[in-house]
Amino acid sequence: MATTSSDITAPSDAPFVNPNASPTGTLTVSDERMLDNGDRLMTLNMGPQHPSTHGVMRVLLKLDGEIVVDCDPVIGYLHRGTEKLGEAHRYAQLTPWTDRTDYVAAPLNNLAYILTVEKLCNVEAPERAQYWRVIMAELSRIASHLVWLGTHALDIGALSMSLYCFRERELILDIFESFCGARLTTNMMEIGGFSRPIPDGLVAQIRNFLRIFPQRQREYTTLLDANPIWMTRTKGVGIISPEAAISYSLTGACLRGSGINYDVRKATPYLVYDRLEFEVPLGQHGDTYDRYLVRQEEMRQSIRLITQALDHVEHMDTPLMAYESAYVIPPHKGTMTTAEDMQRHFVWTIKGFNPPVGEAWCSIEHSKGEMGYYLVSDGGPLPYRFRIRTPDFVNLSVLPHMAQGAMLADMVALIGTIDIVLGSVDR
Amino acid sequence: MSDHDDTIQTPENETHSLVETPEELGWERTLYTDPDVAKHPAVRELRRVFPHDILEVIRFRDETTIHVTPAKLREICFFLRDHREIAFNFLTDLTAVDMLKLRTAPRFDVVVQLYSLPNRVRLRLKAGVNDGQSVPSLVPIWNGANWLERETFDMFGILFEGHPNLRRMLLPDDWDEGHPLRKDYPLRGWKEFPVYNTERTVPRSRTRWTGRGV
Amino acid sequence: MGLIDDRFEKNVFVTSLDFLFNWGRRSSLWWLQFGLACCAIEMIGASMSRWDLAERFGMLYRASPRQADLMIVAGTVTKKMAPIVRTLYDQMPEPKWVVSMGSCANVGGPYDTYAVVQGVDQVVPVDIYVPGCPPTPESLYYGILQLQNKVIKYETMAKKHGIEAAEAERQADRLETMAGMRA
Repeated sequence: MATTSSDITAPSDAPFVNPNASPTGTLTVSDERMLDNGDRLMTLNMGPQHPSTHGVMRVLLKLDGEIVVDCDPVIGYLHRGTEKLGEAHRYAQLTPWTDRTDYVAAPLNNLAYILTVEKLCNVEAPERAQYWRVIMAELSRIASHLVWLGTHALDIGALSMSLYCFRERELILDIFESFCGARLTTNMMEIGGFSRPIPDGLVAQIRNFLRIFPQRQREYTTLLDANPIWMTRTKGVGIISPEAAISYSLTGACLRGSGINYDVRKATPYLVYDRLEFEVPLGQHGDTYDRYLVRQEEMRQSIRLITQALDHVEHMDTPLMAYESAYVIPPHKGTMTTAEDMQRHFVWTIKGFNPPVGEAWCSIEHSKGEMGYYLVSDGGPLPYRFRIRTPDFVNLSVLPHMAQGAMLADMVALIGTIDIVLGSVDR
Repeated sequence: MSDHDDTIQTPENETHSLVETPEELGWERTLYTDPDVAKHPAVRELRRVFPHDILEVIRFRDETTIHVTPAKLREICFFLRDHREIAFNFLTDLTAVDMLKLRTAPRFDVVVQLYSLPNRVRLRLKAGVNDGQSVPSLVPIWNGANWLERETFDMFGILFEGHPNLRRMLLPDDWDEGHPLRKDYPLRGWKEFPVYNTERTVPRSRTRWTGRGV
Repeated sequence: MGLIDDRFEKNVFVTSLDFLFNWGRRSSLWWLQFGLACCAIEMIGASMSRWDLAERFGMLYRASPRQADLMIVAGTVTKKMAPIVRTLYDQMPEPKWVVSMGSCANVGGPYDTYAVVQGVDQVVPVDIYVPGCPPTPESLYYGILQLQNKVIKYETMAKKHGIEAAEAERQADRLETMAGMRA
């Protein structure tokens, strides 16, 4: 079952072992089944418009009967030039475009970008803002995993899962709407903290969600965890060995499903994660089922984090925004009443601020993996280089490795298990 | 099917051998962020093994950037990955910066962000190349470099020597308008879109709304 | 039949059977599952539990363009994707409608860059523009209800004056909508 594409280089010298080998031997297609020109392989196009590709991605498959010999993902159908746009707009203006890279978990993208700008400018948000950032980040992690679970299960065949997951996701989107006004593309994180006060009733709304969600999540586990159809479709499918996972630079559940313990929140803690208790779930076999269990457990750990953070922050009344910094927007009240703040606000909005010359890299544990921003500043109001390291783009490169020897019906499960969002892959 | 009862492992129960923290002195994690950049273990070792290829070392906030000669980039990455104590075994990112507005030569800086899973530290390598010059590809070291290098080629036009499959990634295969992320490439591109819609009567005019940087 | 004639005298439905056909055509618009970007998530949300576009409005999403009569272009159309959008539009059988959802499909949205087509109406003719970034499901609903009015107009024209006249009026109406988007 040799493959023709030369960019699949196994990191070790061991010959490729087909993980989908049937008990009676390796899967083969009988020799009588040849195509017209004597070639056994058929090229099938899983085109840009396809219900299971989670967006506009094209996968060119070389099939030997039902078995995929090679697959070539073609991306770029949603490439919108965000990195080039980043060089034409001021630092504070860029947050809305970061929302739209990974649009199912917009606050996490905002957070990664804002942390990088804060690192570049050496600004630190106050503690209360950090806790609220953790709450919003974890809520958006749950929202992202719900979309993943809904669409992944929908593709594999559990149609009702999508309805359940989006029902819970609506609760989270209501919380975002109360907090910042928008459901999906939130633009909620700001340099230095949050400039508007926390709305009344938000804490009650989040507590209500924390009360409802765990029992709903038990519904999902009852439906899928021990479901024989689910297990047959996901166990042993898409196995990634730990060495391959590191070699392909995978992060997130794809890496942790293979047993490597790398979570940016634990390895290089940011915000207040070093003060909160949570665990990082690891898989054992590196197959689709393990990645599913890892993400389910991540949702439970997120609930744990939100509960702790909410207990900390509920009765805090310290400021939400860093002050006295040239890089931070002045408070709203001051802008409306004092001359200095009004002038500072005007200059900050119209002219922008000039961060120091240098470069900064900051990465967070996004729901899909490690999302990093690399900003190069030349001392002007516009970034010199705005680089987004998205987890999906790098994770998707493992698809040909996983698809070797898989069946055609498994392709859908494989694309779903990597958890891609095309806005993030293509930027 | 096999039993999956103990699939979820917490870190206390099972640690993978690639993430153990070394205990010897001289390789402590705090040395990586020490203000004296000469104490940085990777800088020390690279200066020892590749004395002529380390051009500059910069420390900004808590990040270290090492400028290296492009010809030795692959050897340096192999060395950093296979070193027992330093062990920068994870490639986080590979991209480039067009330095056209900041210096005259070399034109591009290929930026490699590395991460050490055992030590939990980051490092940045930069290699300066000119237009048309090629950089050795890091695909033999990490498979993850494959797509990252393809994207860098697509956006900047930097050639990676030894890459098995260097073709366009994000733009169409027949894109003949150049490499967009270069500084002399306009934000809106060179060519207008050919309108397919024959039923359309009113053409759209594009207004300038950013004013600078475009 | 006479009873219904008297009751709906001033209305457009002439027979009870026509009423049924019209109601059926506008109440079961099958749309092509064609989400491109962020608006797709809101479109999916609109067809899920809370805003039940699928069950309440009879709008089922179909993966194949041959079985769809509505294409909701939700998201940014890039230059790489534009020929495929046109191919899909051409593959849909007549009568077909196009709803452009979101700023990116209307005018290119916040992305005025080298890779983005400034509006899907450069590629396919559009009947309804739904603004928003992304439009909330309620906005999409409003757009769909306006589209249902258009479908009713088409059906009544077809009944009264024949298919060719109905088609002509539909194209003219569409051009008028698109001309309103002149920048």
